[in-house]
Amino acid sequence: MKSFINALVSVILAVTFFFGFWVILDHDYDWAAIAPYSGNLFSGWLVTVGISLAALALSVVVAAVLTVAQLSSHRVPRVLSRAYVEIVRGTPLLTQILIGYYLIADAIGWDSRFGVGLVILSCFSGAYLSEIFRGGIESISKSQWLSARAIGLSEGQTYRFVVIPQAIRRVLPASAGQFANLIKDSSLLFVISVHEFTMQAREANANSFATFEAYLPLVMGYFILTFPISLLSRHLEKRFSYEH
Amino acid sequence: MSIEVHNLHQHYGETRAIDGVCMKLPDSAQVLALIGPSGGGKSTFLRLIGGIETPTSGTVIVDDQELPKEEEGLLDYRKSNGFLFQAFNLFPHLSALDNIILPLTEVHGWSRHKAEERAHEVVKRFYLEKHLEKHPEQLSGGQQQRVALARAVAHEPALLLLDEPTSALDPEMKAGVLDLIKELCDAGQRIVLSTHEMGFARQSADHVVFLAEGKILEEGKAEELFEASREPKVTQFLDRVMKW
Repeated sequence: MKSFINALVSVILAVTFFFGFWVILDHDYDWAAIAPYSGNLFSGWLVTVGISLAALALSVVVAAVLTVAQLSSHRVPRVLSRAYVEIVRGTPLLTQILIGYYLIADAIGWDSRFGVGLVILSCFSGAYLSEIFRGGIESISKSQWLSARAIGLSEGQTYRFVVIPQAIRRVLPASAGQFANLIKDSSLLFVISVHEFTMQAREANANSFATFEAYLPLVMGYFILTFPISLLSRHLEKRFSYEH
Repeated sequence: MSIEVHNLHQHYGETRAIDGVCMKLPDSAQVLALIGPSGGGKSTFLRLIGGIETPTSGTVIVDDQELPKEEEGLLDYRKSNGFLFQAFNLFPHLSALDNIILPLTEVHGWSRHKAEERAHEVVKRFYLEKHLEKHPEQLSGGQQQRVALARAVAHEPALLLLDEPTSALDPEMKAGVLDLIKELCDAGQRIVLSTHEMGFARQSADHVVFLAEGKILEEGKAEELFEASREPKVTQFLDRVMKW
């Protein structure tokens, strides 16, 4: 109930803010100019939702592989995965998209913009997610390992029955936050002409010259995706803090 | 119960937690108590006997079998034992019942049905029926320790190892847990425990080992060691701790 009230207050504040903005700007809105592009905007929004969901699933796989490599007792996978994470986190996503599409995908002859965009986004987000996963696994106390060892669980069983179930609860809030980032980051895919939401808004603007009318739905479209995730993330964080 | 220890060492860096211990337990002994000052090596010695740690050097022989040095063999040995720590070490994401069932199904290969039946028997014996579905954080310290004890004995271990089982409990809870351990002793369970409860050690143990600075200062039958210790340091320690 309390979180519902909080959500309601946030929505009212947001609406007031936008309305105030609207009044201050005193812009002469011409929604008719943008109307012919509303279908494109909506399909762009759907592409953003689709690519974000697909990248979420794929980035979990990427992150799982990286996490296993980083926790490995062998040096080579540890060093390689560490290097990967540092490089991905240390360079802008925009450059990764450009290099990924124009150099790497081109070299291997892959020209599906959606596919390449999806893979780049997943590789990018997977690096961040793997840091969250690793932190979650390493946060499980030594006493849990000791206890698992004492009752006769093998290392694999300890991960499966003791460490991972506890780590998942701990990483959920941060992972939800990372998903919100992923949705926003997908907007950069317009540089390789993936027909996602931002790309469609840019095209609508270019063709209609109705800048506000093209970009205001863009802001709202992203916000209605990320805001519930942000609420969910906060809710999960609170639930976790009660447990400990 | 036969336990033999030959020239046992366990070093952590510069610290010699166990420093050249030799011991041969009389076959008639059923309950062995490890006593002595904190940091004297009791817990480490217990973990070495229980196969939770592997020694730096030396051998431990339990029931005429030398404990293996490699993890696989040790895992089999640990499966046959039960272990209880001072800090409960239950799995916080599982209910009391599932904490007891997990090793039965996953380590000992019992069916879920058989494991549940057995778990219900044990919790009844330990007065935990009302708390089956609760998670550890919903239980008091004494209740948590009883669940941990139930988990340690549910598979009828060949050897039950108790590491200061009541150190973290208030006096009333302590008494409740000690009553249960006494019941297990009386029922013929073979037990090795490290404890600060001198009264309990004296009453329940057949054989007592006094450890300080990683060495055995004195060992012998409980009544002899408590009544007429030959070692001045042991007498001094016992006088001090049993004064109040």
